[in-house]
Amino acid sequence: MNTLTIGSRTLELDKDGYLVDLNDWSTDVANVLAAAETLELTADHWEILELLRGFYAEFQLCPATRPLIKYTALKLGPEKGNSLHLNKLFNGTPAKLAAKLAGLPRPTNCL
Amino acid sequence: MSKSLLVISRQAPWSGPSAREALDIVLAGGAFDLPIGLLFMDDGVFQLAPHQDAKAVQQKDLSANLQALGLFGVDDVFACSHSLAERGLATPGSAEPLDSDAITQLIDRYDQVITL
Amino acid sequence: MSTLHVVSHSPFTDSRLASCLRVCGTEDAILLCGDGAYGLHNAALHTKGLKVFVLAEDMQARNVTLPDWADSLDYAGFVQLSIDYDKVNTWL
Repeated sequence: MNTLTIGSRTLELDKDGYLVDLNDWSTDVANVLAAAETLELTADHWEILELLRGFYAEFQLCPATRPLIKYTALKLGPEKGNSLHLNKLFNGTPAKLAAKLAGLPRPTNCL
Repeated sequence: MSKSLLVISRQAPWSGPSAREALDIVLAGGAFDLPIGLLFMDDGVFQLAPHQDAKAVQQKDLSANLQALGLFGVDDVFACSHSLAERGLATPGSAEPLDSDAITQLIDRYDQVITL
Repeated sequence: MSTLHVVSHSPFTDSRLASCLRVCGTEDAILLCGDGAYGLHNAALHTKGLKVFVLAEDMQARNVTLPDWADSLDYAGFVQLSIDYDKVNTWL
């Protein structure tokens, strides 16, 4: 079992590094998970992570790349809701990596 | 041009895996830009009933998932009006009601059909 | 486009055949297999004027008599039929 240690807390991760319990998530957790991916979270990242958590709360599922782009365009406008912006932020795999950092399960329809 | 696919979902939401599987096929197809349609028929129209509570039976919220169809590029969502009337359900806002003749034509229009 | 509808449930306990008949087009055909073979006892199937096929072995196993308005076939015939129609809709 993979684990993630933050201060005195030890959190369970699945084999792909996603949080097992969604309730374990916090901004600290996101920062540590991002560091493991050699990523430093900026305001642009946080905006997408929050958006993604909103998506999950609304639809109870984690979007694949296309719906993520569509949803981002809908909520933040086309200058952010495009594959270039999202790929740049999340090392080329926005749906998978953003979901991981947002504490969500692996996207179900990402084959 | 990829082949178009119609998925007919005709099982009630909490009776087994069929409703979930039908939706998964549609969402996966939509995410890959496949021309895809979804028709609710028979007990499948119960998936469209309002105010369901998936948590009461420890299930994932299928109704919430259905609201994401548009974002997954699935705009052709239909419901069998005969099945709705038979079950005393109002016409749902999220699906276009079709009578039997219209469903015959719908099936005709798609290259492939999967009925679950 | 023509569709071959495959029904494998008895119409006397299940709504598949009834629903199928409701939405069948005039060019379509119905193939009965498994307990679907009991559908030959169902008068509604005949009145629609559709082509009806039944898998011979499933019919024999159940001692269902072949009426003059239906045809029986083996698995090779089933495969040929799947090719002859534009698509196959299996009522799972």
